[in-house]
Amino acid sequence: MRSYVGTSPPRNEDRRLLTGQALFVDDVQLEGMLHAAFVRSDHAHALINGIDASAALGRPGVVAVLTAADLGDYWQPGPLLVPPPPIEGIVFNQASQVPLAKDRVRHVGEPVAMVIAESRYLAEDALADVVVDYEPLEPVVDLEAALAPDAPVIHPQLGTNLAAHVVQRHEDYDAAREGAALVINRRFHYDRGAAAAMENRCVAARWDARAQELTVWDTTQAPIPIRNGLARMLGLLESQVRVVAPFVGGGFGPKIMMFYPEEVLVPWVAIRLGRPVKWTEDRQENFFATTQERSQIHDAEAAFAADGKILGIRDFFFHDTGAYDPYGLTVPINSQCTLLGPYDVPAYHSEFRAVFTNRTTVTPVRGAGRQHGVFVMERLLDIAAKELGLAPDEIRRRNYLRKDVFPHTFQILFQDFAPLYYDSGNYAPALEAALDIVGRDTFRTEQRRAREEGRHIGMGVVSYVEGTGIGPYEGARVTIEPSGQVRVATGLGTQGQGHYTAFAQIVAEVLDVDVDRVHVVTGDTREFGWGTGTFASRGAVVAGSACHEAALAVRKKVIETGARVLGVSPDEVELADGTVRVRGDTSRSMAFGRLAGEANPLRGAVVPGTEPGLEATAYFGPDHGSTASGVHAMVVEVDPETAMVKVLRYVVVHDCGKLINPVIVAGQVQGGVAHGIGNAFYEQLVYDESGQLQNASFMDYLLPTAMDVPRVEMAHRETAAPLNPLGLKGVGEAGCIPTGAAFAQAIEDALPHLALEIREIPLSPNRLWELLRAAEPAGALTRLA
Amino acid sequence: MIVDGEHTFPGPRQTVWDLLQDPEVLAKAMPGARKLHLTGDGTYEGVIRIGVGPVTAAEWSLNVTLRDQVPPASYVMQVDSKGALGFTRGTATVNLDEVDGGTRMRYHADLSVGGKVAGVGQRLLDQVAKMLTKQGLDALNKELESRLKAGPAGS
Repeated sequence: MRSYVGTSPPRNEDRRLLTGQALFVDDVQLEGMLHAAFVRSDHAHALINGIDASAALGRPGVVAVLTAADLGDYWQPGPLLVPPPPIEGIVFNQASQVPLAKDRVRHVGEPVAMVIAESRYLAEDALADVVVDYEPLEPVVDLEAALAPDAPVIHPQLGTNLAAHVVQRHEDYDAAREGAALVINRRFHYDRGAAAAMENRCVAARWDARAQELTVWDTTQAPIPIRNGLARMLGLLESQVRVVAPFVGGGFGPKIMMFYPEEVLVPWVAIRLGRPVKWTEDRQENFFATTQERSQIHDAEAAFAADGKILGIRDFFFHDTGAYDPYGLTVPINSQCTLLGPYDVPAYHSEFRAVFTNRTTVTPVRGAGRQHGVFVMERLLDIAAKELGLAPDEIRRRNYLRKDVFPHTFQILFQDFAPLYYDSGNYAPALEAALDIVGRDTFRTEQRRAREEGRHIGMGVVSYVEGTGIGPYEGARVTIEPSGQVRVATGLGTQGQGHYTAFAQIVAEVLDVDVDRVHVVTGDTREFGWGTGTFASRGAVVAGSACHEAALAVRKKVIETGARVLGVSPDEVELADGTVRVRGDTSRSMAFGRLAGEANPLRGAVVPGTEPGLEATAYFGPDHGSTASGVHAMVVEVDPETAMVKVLRYVVVHDCGKLINPVIVAGQVQGGVAHGIGNAFYEQLVYDESGQLQNASFMDYLLPTAMDVPRVEMAHRETAAPLNPLGLKGVGEAGCIPTGAAFAQAIEDALPHLALEIREIPLSPNRLWELLRAAEPAGALTRLA
Repeated sequence: MIVDGEHTFPGPRQTVWDLLQDPEVLAKAMPGARKLHLTGDGTYEGVIRIGVGPVTAAEWSLNVTLRDQVPPASYVMQVDSKGALGFTRGTATVNLDEVDGGTRMRYHADLSVGGKVAGVGQRLLDQVAKMLTKQGLDALNKELESRLKAGPAGS
């Protein structure tokens, strides 16, 4: 028997990716194709008093210029993707994005007009010819000021900038607080960053009038919902719309936003003009028009017993949803729920206000609100530990949920609308493992030695949980073809997660075939038409489980058909090396390919009650998301004069249940840590008080490079999830969730002589320098350095 | 964006005032001006061509209104400029005082800058604003000197 799950065979997709034979949307070139470019708002908040496109239309090569008025009934606000959870007393005000701004713009970069031309160059040139008469309005940028009674209102129909107000409670915080020996109360800030996927967004569409079929190539993470929505909006059958999400150069969340204006407009205009149309986002547009995360302000309080045990947490926070809120409350609900982490929190009161601002819309970006909650909780623990004279690891050790409490439920609703549910976990050993790797005994000695040399090194150790693998469902179809090769189709989009390999491993193990003979196709609605998408670290868990179920069903067909063909009973046959054979008699066997032919005869009768072929489709929907967890330890060196921080070591001990492919998991963790380090110290979208983004290019928006991100030292722990047959949990976001918290603790640890308390992320050398100056009287730092 | 500073013109205040209110002089002194003409009521309309660092030089429509004139001491310029790369709008207050050696001009502009030029050119905006201001003041100085030279002969 082949054993593939838990091994790391070479990735099936790498040959195509490395030899330039992988299709990305921008590779799509079609006969007669036109190109789109967008006039975008320069203002954060303004009325549109008129648009004059006549000069643009007169430019040679320009085929059409479209404004909201030209869209007729097709102009509709986008759908609410995720309705608010059924939480008692919830307030939710919906205002979703529109295809083209009609009478008002609400953030810089919002599309106002679309130019279609024979080439992108011509289209871009024509943008300058479109004259938009704006009447600037006072912009809304500050989260608290936005809710003041006299604040300008972004969506007049709502009469308020409040997007949502949610209160969730687990037991009685006020009662828990009464017995506290220590109460910590702080304000924490978390500011915006970009997903910065390597590939920007891209949409190409072709209407084939003879076939009456629309084909859309889209960098989406959710091709099936895009197909369904486009069919509805365009008045077509779902079967008339094919959406292909081919290879995509990074998703990280923003590509599951639906529907971006460009995604709605490009197919529509392709049908209208009867010519293919393509739009490829440039990096500038990406900074303004692709969704972002993650401004929040938390006012948090934690009550502790004298021994450091958490008695309760109370948190009030503001969440910036940007100009629109089509993604509902996923991000702030994730913050609210993930704050609790791997800890035994007897009482919790969490209340948030989501606020509209004149900034780019916020939807999940890798981590999707979880890092905010983790930052708040981990910082509260660090502050309490200092007050109580405990080491950071000790206060965590004292508060972990014990391994015998699972499944553990909190009385608050998670993003999947079910009570927050921890299916399984074993947290304390991960902490010990991380401390062992980082060298708990030697580190303090090293730190002292470094200090004597005038170097400041410090360590941060933090924990997190990650709700992953939520429903509703995914599906897969597994087919053994007459060539003996196996084909797997699933509805997810793939953005570099190694689906072609991980899903193949699952199927190859069930069918006992070579993994490179299993061909996976994802993200083409013609191949598979049911499913939701790639988000919430769920692809491997949910689609992987569906692949497993479908492979088991095919295995059953192989056994039944094989037994019939070989003239024995089903319990006398076995699968081996791509054949079915009589157990104990290797001379009586048949290769899968021939068996597939036998299962699809040209003559004779198909046995009643059976289906032709060796093919099966299966679906999987878990009752709950599975809860992954981990511990990150980080060693940094801080230069107190320049406030530059170098990450010397980064250790991740994580538990995503059973591993399908350890190398892919390691890649996910390494990449996540890179995102996390960027978020902690390099990346920040800086808006001025008028809602103008100040650093909309990679000259000014710093991404960490390979020089800034060490090779992560990793250990895997496997606490199998009981919620799916393979025991899987997701790992896509684990690397970036606790990084800010680790960074803050490590910096404080490196500078123990300073009264430094980091309560904000992202930091930057500049900002840290300011904090260091504020933490000590002038001159003290030079003396210490 | 705040642009402020001062500059001393080597000439009497009334001459400097007349210079600053002269449409032809302004058109000459405005950096990158392609055309600039007075439409009435102290409003100038025109086109300028300016680039900011990585933002390629592009044409901007320009609308400047002079108001609140207190001759020869102070006035306010209202600036509204837009183009494919964004916009700049705001007001500049100009004060003229008599000082030793001539007339001191103090200027304070509070401008909002939006769109691509704000997103990409941010770190260069201050420098560019300073450079453009210097170009404009140099041109005004030159014009003043030639007036002063021509002045005695003509009066």
